[in-house]
Amino acid sequence: MTLVGLAVGAALAAVALFVPWLPDQGAEQARIVDNVYWFVTIICVAVFAVVAGVSVYAVWKFRAPPGDTDDGSPIHGHTGLEIVWTIIPVILVTAIAVYSGVALAQAEDIDDADKLVVEVSAQQFAWTFTYPDELLEGGRPLTSGELVVPLDQPIEFRITSKDVIHSFWVPEWRMKQDAVQGITTRTVVQPTKLGTFPVICTELCGLGHATMRSQARVLDEAGFRAWVREQRRLAAEGASVQGEGLFVSNCGSCHTLAEAGTDGQTGPDLDTVLPGQDAAAVSESIVEPNAEISEGFQPDVMPQNYGEVFTEQQLEGLVEYLLEATGGGD
Amino acid sequence: MAVEVREHEQHAAPPPPPPPRGLRYLTGAGWLRAAWLMPLAFGLATLLVIGARAALGYDPLWELPVLIAAWTVLVPLAFLAGIGGFDYWAYWISGRPSRPEDHSGHGARSWKDYFRVNTDHKVIGVQYLVTTIFFFVAAGLMAMFMRAELARPGMQFVDTNTFNGLFSVHASLMIFLFIIPAFAGLGNYVIPLMIGAPDMAFPRLNALSFWLLPIAGLMMMSSYLIPDGGAFAAGWTNYVPLAVVQPDGNLFFQMGVQWAGASSIMTALNFLVTIITMRAPGMSFWRMPLLVWANFATSTLVVVATPFIAGSQFFILFDRVLHTNFFDPSQGGDVIAYQHIFWFYSHPAVYIMMLPGFGIASEVISVFARKPIFGYRLMALSLMAILILGFSVWAHHMFVSGMAPWLRIPMMLTTLVIAVPTGIKVFSWLATLWEGRLHFTTPMLFASGFVSMFVIGGLSGIYLGSVPIDIHASDTYFVVAHIHYVLFGGSLFTIFAGIYYWFPKMTGRMYDERLGKIHFWMTFVGFNLTFFPMHWVGLQGMPRRVADYAPEFGTWNMIISIAAFALGASTLVFLYNMLVSWRRGAPAPGNPWRALTLEWQVSSPPPVFNFDEIPQVVGSPYEYGVRGARHAVMGDREVERGRAPEPVEAIHSS
Repeated sequence: MTLVGLAVGAALAAVALFVPWLPDQGAEQARIVDNVYWFVTIICVAVFAVVAGVSVYAVWKFRAPPGDTDDGSPIHGHTGLEIVWTIIPVILVTAIAVYSGVALAQAEDIDDADKLVVEVSAQQFAWTFTYPDELLEGGRPLTSGELVVPLDQPIEFRITSKDVIHSFWVPEWRMKQDAVQGITTRTVVQPTKLGTFPVICTELCGLGHATMRSQARVLDEAGFRAWVREQRRLAAEGASVQGEGLFVSNCGSCHTLAEAGTDGQTGPDLDTVLPGQDAAAVSESIVEPNAEISEGFQPDVMPQNYGEVFTEQQLEGLVEYLLEATGGGD
Repeated sequence: MAVEVREHEQHAAPPPPPPPRGLRYLTGAGWLRAAWLMPLAFGLATLLVIGARAALGYDPLWELPVLIAAWTVLVPLAFLAGIGGFDYWAYWISGRPSRPEDHSGHGARSWKDYFRVNTDHKVIGVQYLVTTIFFFVAAGLMAMFMRAELARPGMQFVDTNTFNGLFSVHASLMIFLFIIPAFAGLGNYVIPLMIGAPDMAFPRLNALSFWLLPIAGLMMMSSYLIPDGGAFAAGWTNYVPLAVVQPDGNLFFQMGVQWAGASSIMTALNFLVTIITMRAPGMSFWRMPLLVWANFATSTLVVVATPFIAGSQFFILFDRVLHTNFFDPSQGGDVIAYQHIFWFYSHPAVYIMMLPGFGIASEVISVFARKPIFGYRLMALSLMAILILGFSVWAHHMFVSGMAPWLRIPMMLTTLVIAVPTGIKVFSWLATLWEGRLHFTTPMLFASGFVSMFVIGGLSGIYLGSVPIDIHASDTYFVVAHIHYVLFGGSLFTIFAGIYYWFPKMTGRMYDERLGKIHFWMTFVGFNLTFFPMHWVGLQGMPRRVADYAPEFGTWNMIISIAAFALGASTLVFLYNMLVSWRRGAPAPGNPWRALTLEWQVSSPPPVFNFDEIPQVVGSPYEYGVRGARHAVMGDREVERGRAPEPVEAIHSS
């Protein structure tokens, strides 16, 4: 009996330990969450080994021979045993709850004085990240469709949604938070690993849900400063360069455009539908997407609020960029 | 046995009324009357809406959402009135003679009697089971389409809208039209027999609650036919604001839930009154079989919790059709409020879908281990503990939703504490096996498979109950794995166990044991290969409810899809076995399993009014191996150690 239990336990432990269950740890929070994960895993492997051990042993030992009409031992219960298997789970779940509570407090506790605040805005089906004004001397806040953050810097994400519920998740950071219209939600991360990680929407948000992805790039301090400078230069350079950034962050997850390197499939392929259109038509398609629907696509899929989302100047830049990119216009 | 059956014939259902003639042929209760009442109601609803809009000067006159709301209320009511669901009450209200002792709608003389309003709990039980298995197959086919699409990254067979519709309708049918009503169907058949009652407390209400079900199911399935947008596609959770901005197909979910929910509540009330007031003399609460306890707890949950999901869907309906603003933040509505109301039903719903399974497992394991259930009283009390705790954990579905952060810790505590009564049940089943004489018939295989699979589902629930782990794993394939270990490995395995276990009682014939075992092993292996890898892909970063995914998950998704197809194929073995055995299986004796509970002390199938003499209950239902112990005395017969004419294996080899 003990042997069967040990064998099952060993097999389970092997599966638990030798399969890489969790992705790379990319943040301080990942380390904390993973510790809880392994703590729970040890307890669960032990519990399952007991259950599976008893089951396997019972099936092997107490199977009735064919034609058997006898009854088993009339055991009605055992108060001692029943107390034991009430008390032990109580202790185990209390331990898990206490450890989880402490870990949660640790994971969410960051240095308020030193933190970088990034505003995350979600909409069908794109992410927009906005950095605080102080990164831009006197200019408008810096926005980007890709999340770029410095290494080892505690970051607070303030998350909002322009339409339905979305959820902001970077698996390597282990932190996830819904974006909800009408309220600002919050999560914190302190990245500890350089690299590029996926930003994934995990709350069903409509037709383009599966494609609502972006990326999180973690750079060292110097790299991050350089990126901010570059963004500033691009913003100053001209409307169409700004247009490319707007396109990638707002449109690229649904629309294919070779020039921008996007391959979204939810909306029409812009390399096919845009050539031959003039600025007014492109502008109308952005602001009033239902006015004309390309064949094979449905109305009401594309958000209808871009007229409010973009400033006049941004819209002009975006249209200019799209015309340049597809060889249209004048 | 043969003598007994002949005795019952004098108690058999009275002969059917003479076939109606002339105009009565059209106005008598039945499908014909439903066939002309339904188009009439459709026209009336259309006229009402258009007339009211014209009178008030609204534009356009043809407003589809309003029309759908009117149709989905009036047409089903016309159907129910047509088949005769309200006849008795209508007679009574209008002062016509209401024939209180009329049993013409009771019992089945031919297969046709299963297609009309029937007040016999045994007929209704079979109606429930056949209907729910139909929806189980339909929802299973939708899962097959999903796995075909997900076998490879990229889009191959369906577009994203169809895919979102597939998983939404799959889950809604499985939950509202299969698991919950399948347990209600098994309970309907078995509970009155188990407590020694002639029928349910309210047979006419019982008939009505069954006929609401096909309405709900067909409504959900017909949403596929809606032009512009197709089926509802916001998941079975139907979160706002997405549910409010979805195309019109979403209305069919909101209305479907109302009909299924009404059915659930009426059945649950019926169970509660039946269990409380109609137990045979001597059957105290502490002498009730555990399935009766489980249905008692489940019915309490249903009655208290179901109005919350009904309310949540009505709010969405109002937002969509009446332009109220329950959930529109720009008008002062609250998005998170929906989730609180929804989960206040839908978490208890998990127990609604699990507690009856616990009851079935207890019956099956005790009988086939030939032992008393271990720790009977603690088993019953832990059901009640789960019932109470089940109402205090709903927000663990919302750890990342943006709700008040402080709520997370107390909800985590209550969630983890539920593991304690659940653990008591698991350990008690294992202890029941100990030193038993285990007969691995198909029901026993499914019941023991359930125990181990449910433990995996319970343990992954501990991961999700811990807030830090849930923040990572929430809304990923880990959750998909978890719910399927609970609802497939838990609920479905026990439904299969129950169907095989009571098949001889319901049909009077034995099922094919060899096919049953093939079905079990195909299901068990296919199930684990399908759902276990989902834990891994989820933790690695694959979100749930996606039509497309990162290419790195391609290999595992292919493996999962192949296993899912094998799992789907196992259902064919089950259906074949059921159909063929129902027609041609070996005749079943009254008590093929040598069980002590009362349903096995009457013929298979039982007489129309269940018991020719009222049983006198004198002891516990699980006294296997106790010399001289009895559960009940029936007439001059003692129900002692459930003697069968021949051992169980001999019956099966025939």
